[in-house]
Amino acid sequence: MRTPEEALAAARAAAARRDDELPAGMSIEPTERVSIEQLMEWAAIEPDVELMVSTRRLGAPITWFKRKVIHFMRQYFRELQSQQTRFNLNVLIRVAELEDRVARLEDARPPGAPPADDGAPPRPAGAS
Amino acid sequence: MRIHQVLSGAGPYDAVTTQAFAFRELFGSWGWDGRDVAAEIDPRVGNRIAPLRSLHAGPGDVLLIHYSAYAPKLRAVLELPNRKLLLSHNITPARWFWDHDPQAAVVCALGRKQLPQFAAAADVVAGVSLYNAREMGSETVIPILFDPRTLGAARNTRSPGGSQGAGGSERDRDGGSAAATILFVGRLAPHKRQDAVMRAFELYRRRHAPDARLVLVGAPVNWAYDAAMRELATQLSPGAITIESGLTREQLADRYRSATAFLCLSEHEGFCIPLLEAFHFGVPVIARPVGGVPEVAGDAALLLGEEDGESVIAELLAIVATDGELRASLRERAAARVAAYAPEPTARALRAAVESLAR
Repeated sequence: MRTPEEALAAARAAAARRDDELPAGMSIEPTERVSIEQLMEWAAIEPDVELMVSTRRLGAPITWFKRKVIHFMRQYFRELQSQQTRFNLNVLIRVAELEDRVARLEDARPPGAPPADDGAPPRPAGAS
Repeated sequence: MRIHQVLSGAGPYDAVTTQAFAFRELFGSWGWDGRDVAAEIDPRVGNRIAPLRSLHAGPGDVLLIHYSAYAPKLRAVLELPNRKLLLSHNITPARWFWDHDPQAAVVCALGRKQLPQFAAAADVVAGVSLYNAREMGSETVIPILFDPRTLGAARNTRSPGGSQGAGGSERDRDGGSAAATILFVGRLAPHKRQDAVMRAFELYRRRHAPDARLVLVGAPVNWAYDAAMRELATQLSPGAITIESGLTREQLADRYRSATAFLCLSEHEGFCIPLLEAFHFGVPVIARPVGGVPEVAGDAALLLGEEDGESVIAELLAIVATDGELRASLRERAAARVAAYAPEPTARALRAAVESLAR
């Protein structure tokens, strides 16, 4: 008999003796920081019509109907899509330019100077 | 005393709404009245929760704000002169949702950003676990009101010839005569890591128990994520994994009674009620010690280390499934955890927090 505390050690020892491959397939990872490249990809919105479904039981006819509505309104949706994408991409380009500018300023900082952003509010004139 | 509960949103199967109903019953038993309102209400909730605009708090009334999601309309409540108790039910970090449900990610990101403003405006700040409370710099805990009686008897009392749900009776669970059934209960969402549960299960199945089954219970965050998880289940262990949602309390209890082990590989949990449910049914729990899990599980669960991957988990499942004495020892500890979260101490914590506002 193992105590709960011993069970984990026994499992680790048993796993160390194994050399079989882990099952392949989709693995979920958190998105710690979204890169500019990834943002660019997301900015150009292009929702897949396959994502329009009915989650009701026997919802196939409803799914069919909803997709038909999208089809009939495609000209209007294309306009929406292009306006939203235009805004998204322009904002992103500005952000990318600002990032480059900050990086250039940081590179040009003289050695020994305080970090550009030390979290402190600007000091009033005359403060020591 | 008059106490009004304010919710970000109310739904028929929502844990926070259920909690608010339970609190209201307690308030009634203490002779306190008031009304419960929400910024967003699912029509299936009925008239037990009123729209936020119908909140008319008198000068001495107390407000209990259940904070669980971004709700811009709730900001107006902060302006009211009444004494306020903020109860945080925790919000999942957005990084788990950006790739799979951008709308949920935005709601989580804004919700977490808005939380400090709510905490600053409240007179008392509490969390459903110490982990939640400390995120807001508080030490006040009002745990989830867990009443195991709503789940029914822990042991299967039906006749041997009756239906046994997904995997067999209590005797089968310990005697090893039936195929093992591994269970996880929790929303089908990226941070719950059902993908890792499936991989660990598949390793366990390959190495030790070809007839084993995995049951995942929980509503999906969206249709696309549900489809992706079902595809992964088919790819990894064809026919051995069941994904279910919308179960009744009785059906859920059946899944617990039939389970050999409860495997939680979630990467973020504010409290994790299913741990207590598994404890109530005497199901051995293997879990990652994240967020509020160590606090709720205590010594009654097998808590994994950071380095423990699917291979270790598969071996641990094999040990748990076959070692009857280990299971008995865990069951004994589990009963102590359920007792620690009995409704009475939670009711006392709630009453103390509210009365401290009324003084």
